[in-house]
Amino acid sequence: MRTGALLSADRSVELIEIGHQMKQRGLSDVFIAAAVQTAFEFEGVYDLMKMWSEESEKKEQDEVIADIQEMIDECSQKEKIEGTYVRFDDLDQIAKNIRSFKDSLRMIVEKKGGIKMVADLTGIPQPSLSRFFNSRSIPRRITLLKIARALNLSQIQIATEWSR
Amino acid sequence: MDIIITSWALDSYLEMKHNRVFSKEEYKKIIRPDVLRLRDYPDDPKFENEKFWSIVADQSHNKIENGYKMKWHQIGSGKIQLRLTVGMFCNAFLCEAYVKRNPKAEQRKIARFKVFLQLIRQSQYTENGRLS
Repeated sequence: MRTGALLSADRSVELIEIGHQMKQRGLSDVFIAAAVQTAFEFEGVYDLMKMWSEESEKKEQDEVIADIQEMIDECSQKEKIEGTYVRFDDLDQIAKNIRSFKDSLRMIVEKKGGIKMVADLTGIPQPSLSRFFNSRSIPRRITLLKIARALNLSQIQIATEWSR
Repeated sequence: MDIIITSWALDSYLEMKHNRVFSKEEYKKIIRPDVLRLRDYPDDPKFENEKFWSIVADQSHNKIENGYKMKWHQIGSGKIQLRLTVGMFCNAFLCEAYVKRNPKAEQRKIARFKVFLQLIRQSQYTENGRLS
């Protein structure tokens, strides 16, 4: 028990220090607070935080940041959900639909000030938004709502058959 | 044992399918039959082959509880190394498939896998189907 408590204290201090480093690099308070809080509970996020602090290449750091944001979003799901069942033969079409939806949303974002502005307004790091727009993964409603609120978009503008 | 398709597996398949990492034929003749072996885990002899199936270790070389990966070598037109992380509980949970590129990228995937396993234990995941 005592060892666990000591490790926990060590880890807490380590995470707070990494949080300070992130602040110095210009990451938002919203992101840092969520990252540290999630890392306290999820060892995998703690590992990612450590990877970020030990990484020297900007490109790789950005990938870690995008991973951390995705994990924050995943960990915010509090229960098991029965999602839509998908057939392998439908995957291509689904990927195309998602791509098309994200491209449309990206155009709206660009018209309203661009990704950097959305990052500033939502607290979602730019690398996460770039990954969001470039990937075919099913968008999370929480991300869509943050973007919608930041840009004052209507429900229709963020409506998609494929979100979770 | 049931084979659960999680939303993380679905996302990674969508990405790889779109990027044509593997062909439809490779999926149907190689990948899918291999994944279906999980129904007979651990009796199928292929699970004894470490080049195909192994427990996952993190960056500190600690083995991750319930964490395994299925491996395919030289698959797809780009002859890539494909990995599928699988959480082994009373059912098999397909977590995330990825192309093995470099050690750093793989360590990130393993950190993500740790999170996925914890979320499965805590029943905080989305099921998008069962492979049968």
